[in-house]
Amino acid sequence: MEKTPIIEVQHITKKFKGLTAVKDVSFSIREGAITGMIGPNGAGKSTTFNMICGYYPPTEGKIFFRGEDITNKKAYEYTSMKIARTFQIMKPLKNLSVLENVVASCYFGHAAARSQHEARERAMDILQFTGLYEKRHVLSKDMGTPDQKRLEMARALATKPELLFLDENMAGLNPAETESAIELIREINKSGVTIFLIEHIMQAVVSLCENVIVLHHGEKIAEGTPEQVMNDPLVMEVYLGAKGGKDHA
Amino acid sequence: MSVNEKAVRAYRRNTIICLGGILAVFLLIPAFVKNPYTLNVFILIFYTSTLSMAWNLLGGMTGQNSLGHAAYMGLGAYAASMLITKAHLNPWLSGILGMIAVGLVAGVIFYPCFILKGPYFTLVSIAFGEALRQFIINSAFFGRASGIGLPFGRDSWLDFRFGSKEPYYYVGLVMLLLVYLVMKKIERSRMGYALRTIREDEDAAAAIGINPMKYKIMAVVVSAMVAGLVGFFYASYIRYIDPEMMIQAKSTESVLPAVVGGAAFVEGPLVGGLIMVPLSEFLRANFSKILPGINMLLYAVALLAVIRFRPAGILGWYSHSKLKTFIDTKILKKPPIEVIEEVELARRQRKEA
Ligand SMILES: Nc1ncnc2c1ncn2[C@@H]1O[C@H](COP(=O)(O)OP(=O)(O)OP(=O)(O)O)[C@@H](O)[C@H]1O
Ligand SMILES: [Mg+2]
Repeated sequence: MEKTPIIEVQHITKKFKGLTAVKDVSFSIREGAITGMIGPNGAGKSTTFNMICGYYPPTEGKIFFRGEDITNKKAYEYTSMKIARTFQIMKPLKNLSVLENVVASCYFGHAAARSQHEARERAMDILQFTGLYEKRHVLSKDMGTPDQKRLEMARALATKPELLFLDENMAGLNPAETESAIELIREINKSGVTIFLIEHIMQAVVSLCENVIVLHHGEKIAEGTPEQVMNDPLVMEVYLGAKGGKDHA
Repeated sequence: MSVNEKAVRAYRRNTIICLGGILAVFLLIPAFVKNPYTLNVFILIFYTSTLSMAWNLLGGMTGQNSLGHAAYMGLGAYAASMLITKAHLNPWLSGILGMIAVGLVAGVIFYPCFILKGPYFTLVSIAFGEALRQFIINSAFFGRASGIGLPFGRDSWLDFRFGSKEPYYYVGLVMLLLVYLVMKKIERSRMGYALRTIREDEDAAAAIGINPMKYKIMAVVVSAMVAGLVGFFYASYIRYIDPEMMIQAKSTESVLPAVVGGAAFVEGPLVGGLIMVPLSEFLRANFSKILPGINMLLYAVALLAVIRFRPAGILGWYSHSKLKTFIDTKILKKPPIEVIEEVELARRQRKEA
């Protein structure tokens, strides 16, 4: 028997003034799995992601979380549903230290810390886990991109999610850093967190994802295992034929 | 006891001694300074700094720039004075009820304007102040432009009424300390983290589960209530209030100590108030006779100098200065932050065991 998917997206469309960024996209996310989304720049990946995460509502269509309609939930209601996200364009709390950034997250969501000690201690654990511990007293604006990406992840993890959305969390990392980021994501998933990620780095997608959704010009053009979608003629055309510039942030 | 633990204890003790010393100086000032003019300047410092702390909760911690704090202060002063003169309530009770009234009014007025992002809050705060002032000027019940006087009489703690300045000095100092402790508590609490997260990035705040609207309203209400408390103190001290106290320039004056001292710090308004209030009084006393308005001009120049050369305020400069390094290491004997963290962790683990 099929379990209810943790997220089910039904025919969502997003229009920005004249532009249709996402057009009639449907898919679902299996609980416990790592699901990926790929597509050329401007394909509508972040837009899809933002609609699912309540950043803005879809123009048409519906989104379900474990069968419950969450289409019009507000962004700030998500961490209490045990859903957390990162931003493609990092949003560190610039004038706060790395530690304070994470402490802030520990205070909110379904498992909000009840005391300052609890918040700090949990933040310290997460900083160790994400490899930011040594930099805990650095102002987040003074860090480079790789560390800010890590901080995005740390802040999301601090809300103790069961479902984690990562928008190009590995962009701008060198091969060694990418490898350790892949390990980190695998570890988070093993601890029981369902993951949905957008990624341009194929190595990451292939080694992590069970299911991959391909977007192009706002439409879903393929879905399947990494092998299936890589061998899909349409996907090959989009990626190779059209020479859609990849491998950048 | 380990070496580290001893070092942390010594640091704590040194800090307490220094802070206690400063407090002792302020407690002893009225015993030596009998000149009412000087005492008045201190009282002015106390309530201006307290008002500026109220502003800083919004402007510094939440990133919402209010230009209406003189109006909340005025509203608190009027609410309390009306209750004292018309309802004949006890002044202390009137002060508390006045604070609550100001909090309610601020919450109701600003609820709608937080639905919109952007500078609307600042604009509404200006409009609110002016509207309130005009309303009072045109209302016979509120005494129109000629204001309201509070009854004079025998010295009495119960009626919060004194002929000399000393009791007001101490009440003002206690008010400042209490408000400071409340602000410090807020800064470290969930609310403080919510407010600073909102200041840095509202989208990031929502993403971790903060409802920006809810916390902004909370900040406005608390901030307005503190301003209302200052209004009550002011009315009791001066014993006469009029709508002039709500003019725009007064609201701007409440911003200055925080900006000069460092709006990112809870202590900013205290440091700024200690410098700007005496400066303003000095300029007024010495220059306004020679050339009316010159004191305001010099005050503005002082402010511009801070914004130009130390945009993070005096504490912003201090926190990265050699002076701080010197005070921390040579006077307070502060151990490295890692050592403090380690000792704290060990202590908590022992407590849990
Ligand atoms: N808030 C917005 N207002 C108007 N247009 C937008 C907005 N957000 C995205 N778009 C447009 O929608 C399209 C899809 O953008 P989106 O960010 O979803 O792409 P993406 O697949 O995430 O691309 P990338 O790989 O570059 O991150 C683009 O043409 C973009 O310019
Ligand atoms: Mg994107």
